[in-house]
Amino acid sequence: MIKMKRKSLFLLVMTIMMVLLTSCWSKKELTDLSFVSAMGIDKTKDGRYELTFQIINPGNVAGLQGGGGTQSPPVTIYSASGDNLVEASRRASARISRRLYYAHTNLVVIGEKLAREEGINILIDSIDRDPEFRITTSLVIANQSSAADLVKALTPVDKIPANKIMKTLEFTQRKWGENLKVSFQEVMRSLESPGGEALVSGFRLVGNPQQAEKLDNLQQSAPEATLRASGIAVFKNGKLIDWLYNSPARGSVWILDKIQGTDINVDWKGKKEALAYQTVRQKTDVSIKVIKGKPYASVHTRVEGDLGEVEVPVDTRQPAVIKKMEKAAGKEIKKELQTAIKQAQTDKVDIFGFGEALERTRPNQWEKLKSEWDDVYFPKLDVDVTVEAYIRRTGLRNKSFLSSVKEKQH
Amino acid sequence: MPSFFKNQKSKNKLQPQADQTNNEQTVSSLKNLLSENLTLIKEKTGNSSDIVIRHFKISVNNSLAAAIVYIEGIVDNQAIQDYLLQSLMKDNQKNDLNDQNALELISEDIVTMGNVSFADNWNDLLSSLMSGDSLLIVDGINRVLSVSTQGGEKRAIAESTTQMVVRGPKGAFTESIGTNLAMVRRIIKTPDLWLESMKIGRVTKTDVTLMYIHGIANDKVVKEIRKRLKNIDIDSILESGYVEQLIEDQTVTPFPTIYNTERPDVVAGNLLEGRIAIFVDGTPFVLIAPALFIQFFQSAEDYYARFDIATSIRLLRVFMFMISLIAPAMYVAVTTFHQEMVPTTLIVALAAQRESVPFPAFVEAFFMEVTFEILREAGIRLPKAIGSAVSIVGALVIGQAAVQAGIVSPAMVIIVSITAIASFATPSFDMAISARLIRFLFILGAATFGFYGIILILLMGVGHLCSLRSFGVPYMTPLAPFIPVSNEDTLLRLPWWTMRRRPKLISDNKVRQSKHQKPEPPSSRGMINQEMEEDDQNET
Amino acid sequence: MEKAKISATQLFILMVLFELGSALLVPLAMGAKQDAWLAILIGMLCSFFFFLIYHKLYSYYPDLLPTEYMQKILGKVLGTLLAFIYIVYFLYDASRVLRDFGEMLLTFAYPDTPLFIANALLMLVIIYITRKGIEAIARSGELLFIFMYFLAIAGFILIISSGLIDFKNLQPVLKEGILPVAKVALTETLYFPFTEAIVFTMLLPYLSNPKKANVTMLCATGLSGINLIITMIINISVLGVDLTTRSQFPLLSTVQTIQVADFLERLDVFFMFAMVIGIYFKVSILFYASIISTATLFKIKSPSRLAYPLGIIVLFLSITIASNFQEHLYEGLHVARLLLHMPLFAVVPILLLLIAFFKNRKRQQRQ
Repeated sequence: MIKMKRKSLFLLVMTIMMVLLTSCWSKKELTDLSFVSAMGIDKTKDGRYELTFQIINPGNVAGLQGGGGTQSPPVTIYSASGDNLVEASRRASARISRRLYYAHTNLVVIGEKLAREEGINILIDSIDRDPEFRITTSLVIANQSSAADLVKALTPVDKIPANKIMKTLEFTQRKWGENLKVSFQEVMRSLESPGGEALVSGFRLVGNPQQAEKLDNLQQSAPEATLRASGIAVFKNGKLIDWLYNSPARGSVWILDKIQGTDINVDWKGKKEALAYQTVRQKTDVSIKVIKGKPYASVHTRVEGDLGEVEVPVDTRQPAVIKKMEKAAGKEIKKELQTAIKQAQTDKVDIFGFGEALERTRPNQWEKLKSEWDDVYFPKLDVDVTVEAYIRRTGLRNKSFLSSVKEKQH
Repeated sequence: MPSFFKNQKSKNKLQPQADQTNNEQTVSSLKNLLSENLTLIKEKTGNSSDIVIRHFKISVNNSLAAAIVYIEGIVDNQAIQDYLLQSLMKDNQKNDLNDQNALELISEDIVTMGNVSFADNWNDLLSSLMSGDSLLIVDGINRVLSVSTQGGEKRAIAESTTQMVVRGPKGAFTESIGTNLAMVRRIIKTPDLWLESMKIGRVTKTDVTLMYIHGIANDKVVKEIRKRLKNIDIDSILESGYVEQLIEDQTVTPFPTIYNTERPDVVAGNLLEGRIAIFVDGTPFVLIAPALFIQFFQSAEDYYARFDIATSIRLLRVFMFMISLIAPAMYVAVTTFHQEMVPTTLIVALAAQRESVPFPAFVEAFFMEVTFEILREAGIRLPKAIGSAVSIVGALVIGQAAVQAGIVSPAMVIIVSITAIASFATPSFDMAISARLIRFLFILGAATFGFYGIILILLMGVGHLCSLRSFGVPYMTPLAPFIPVSNEDTLLRLPWWTMRRRPKLISDNKVRQSKHQKPEPPSSRGMINQEMEEDDQNET
Repeated sequence: MEKAKISATQLFILMVLFELGSALLVPLAMGAKQDAWLAILIGMLCSFFFFLIYHKLYSYYPDLLPTEYMQKILGKVLGTLLAFIYIVYFLYDASRVLRDFGEMLLTFAYPDTPLFIANALLMLVIIYITRKGIEAIARSGELLFIFMYFLAIAGFILIISSGLIDFKNLQPVLKEGILPVAKVALTETLYFPFTEAIVFTMLLPYLSNPKKANVTMLCATGLSGINLIITMIINISVLGVDLTTRSQFPLLSTVQTIQVADFLERLDVFFMFAMVIGIYFKVSILFYASIISTATLFKIKSPSRLAYPLGIIVLFLSITIASNFQEHLYEGLHVARLLLHMPLFAVVPILLLLIAFFKNRKRQQRQ
């Protein structure tokens, strides 16, 4: 009998607890959240941080029966400032009717000025520590503009501009290779390296920033203000020191083994850029050894690809011809890689990880050279670049069109 | 139900005393005089209008008065006419009957019916009268002969309505226990199939029969079941559900520990695995004990189909069961606590839907689930013609209208429909009912603590399941404790030629089939007639 | 002791779940930096030695709980005192693990919930299942073991297909030689998590087949050790040494980086699922051990009645042992090691074994 009473008492206690629990603490209703898809960080004139939030308007994005997609933009922009990132984020609550939710923030944009003057090391900690913010977020530097301008721009095709930036970076890394999609985690890892070197992609707003914010920018078939991927930012000791474009950019991405496909133009028999060699996959290895206290590095890459365009009359059915083309392509690639290395040496940034490779394989030698690596040893480093290029296929045709024209008209 | 028991216990203390006095009085008072006996019978049955008393005279010169008493409707009238009355009234010339030897002579020589017995007290007399026997009372003898003439209208053997299969025997049990027992006897023809009958229920005196295969079934379990059945002291057993709830191991659990079925092949299959079947008169649902958790996900068809399809469908069923348990809870948990799990595009779409809905996700889920339960319950009672139309109309229209009115979001409607469909995939109705209840518990857990709440309730459920026993066998055998040998028939169903042993812990008699059962046909070529004509081009 | 029997498989599964329980959660052996996996390996191998000691003690007294044979070996007073110390230790350890778990939950999933509630809920479920007895715990273990492994393998496959593993992060191997690694191994990983399984000596009397005890224990330690090594390798190769050292929950950070096919991202809830299962069993076993030893020590007839009071003790202990997470971790790494782990796991069993050895020798000589 007493047992029954005690049991029921416990049950009662538990049910009361249950009732109390319905005022549950960590509950976040969907309608109480504002999804931040991109965040821009700038420095204001008085040295504080200004955050710009790109918030998704669910009703205008999903395209449901509401159908109000053309009336108002799919994203809304709010900004707030504070002495550090956490303060700015909390201050923004005064302007927004909901709680900022960072779990879906896929993009962080940092203004160029901030990156040059203060560096990005300070910004990393709050994002790293917060459980809601993901370290798989992509990082982008605003090239010649402020982060706010970049975040405010509306884009055609992709309703959410953050998606456009991310997808552009992803595809251009895969197809052209002059840009790099980096996540926070990767940036952190590279900034922790001895020289504090990192590579981050840049994005530029082409056109008028005021125009970019307007919805009727999208009403034209060729919008006046667009976003485009532009350049790779080079960081040393956490500060932005240089931008890489074209050859050095692609070469750097290549040496980092991050390139997937690109087009190499090969000169052929006097005609410049006569062949288009489309690479499909590549593998690059970096190794380093120390002989008598002097380091020697070597970069070896192995590329495979197809012929995309042949602008000279040439018969590609001959294996000997293909071999010559492969050699020519290899030479072009080697030139590009060497340009990239030279550029890095001029900037005195070891972005390719030679130092880290030395640390991994010969830690004792590394200890001796560590302190002067960036300024003394790296710029004078002898790098031996070897390229193996293979042309596997030539598309649907073998001889080029011009060669049959040439034959016919002879 | 609990108050029901309380009343029983207090009544119990009163009844036996009254019975005893009755007995003492009446044992001796089966009167000698026919008329007195008949009057007493009429008195005890309150002069019920369906009791037929047929007077006639027997013996040489029609000197001895006798009567047959039976209850119209539960007897086989033809049998009474043709065998009883005929033999008594017409063919009795040869015997000289007097009130000393009348009953013995009649039972041995005259009556041509199969089942006869003597009754000398009122209890036995009335109970056989109520079961459909005919009582032969002879003037001057204080015993009666009760002749088994059970008959009357019974339902014909029809198709099973609750456990349908595509391939397999279609007949299902009926309400008459005799027919049911016979149906199983027809499948299992071994003399080791033993039956034990008893009458349970003080007022209803329902026939309950225990059936098992001697040598395969576990004797200890048989003894235990017999003991528990004998211990039942209730006034009525209307359905096997009463018996189930009175003999089960643990009542405080949503999970059934005794299986029930209305198919004879299922009963036969379980008997062959060493289980025991309990038949209750008046219901086609037969109880099977001991029952394991995994049994409630098995259907008869699994054994008739081939092993690959049977395995996949069984896995599908378990998967659907899990979905029907946690789908609404997962939705609530993900949209209220763990929004990061969902891909961005989907969460934006969900957020857009929820903009127009006034309630939090938990209330919405709860509301939709309750509505669905109401629809389901109502759908059972609707007449067949309207039934299917209304349920479809109800679901679609109400759901659609609710979405348009902005009361629920479309995603919720989808989730609830998926849950409902998944819950029908469980073959056993009892398990499906448990799932319906537990689902609300999960939703509650999810609403208060998101995923953590779901996990906690899952842990509690698993712990609870693992602590149950069904007649001594752990409920979750053979998954836990893990007996690899018996696992060939749980979530998977390996080909018949691999299942050589009976489930351990249920039966000691291990070997079900011998080795070498794997089909090994000779190579195909060898089986074809090789007589070819000369110009036959096709070499097979 | 209750009338229950567990099979060798169940013991094996319980041990694996126990050792993986909170070891997957916290940074293990991070003092050895990128050679953490080596430290775990060495710790595992050394713990085999201790398991042999525990098994030998068991073989001297196969039907008695350790608290009971302590009394036999050391005499009533000293034995009871020692047994009491062990009981208090089990309760303390249970509350530590509970606290670890609660902190993890609050850090990444439910930041606004009070710690008491998160712990209390899990404690309620643990009390419920402990009251049902060791058989229920063992059987639930068998079922949930499959779940946990399924999650582990799925996670492993996802990490590999995200292309995140970079074995270069594990280099340079043994940068500073084997000595620091061995130091970490012998002072940290030997005790946590491997010889924490001394609590299983409380469960050995329930084994239905005593001959298999040794093999089971060693295999279970081996399997969980290998699991931990693989996990640590993955952690370091995905995150890099620095990030792993800085993380409060390395495995969680690893899981957070999974990004497959654009929609399988942010899967930390599955990590939480696996953790809940692991910690649930760890705390259940510690709790059960403390209940059963208290019951035998104080001659209480129905151990399940102790579940509620002791459960509330564990709950309150878990809140009060440290005022913040950092203090809790510091306590565990620096204080508990010297004061509790070394004597209770290593020194005392060796002493007991020596005394038992001599006592049994005398008995054999007499016979």
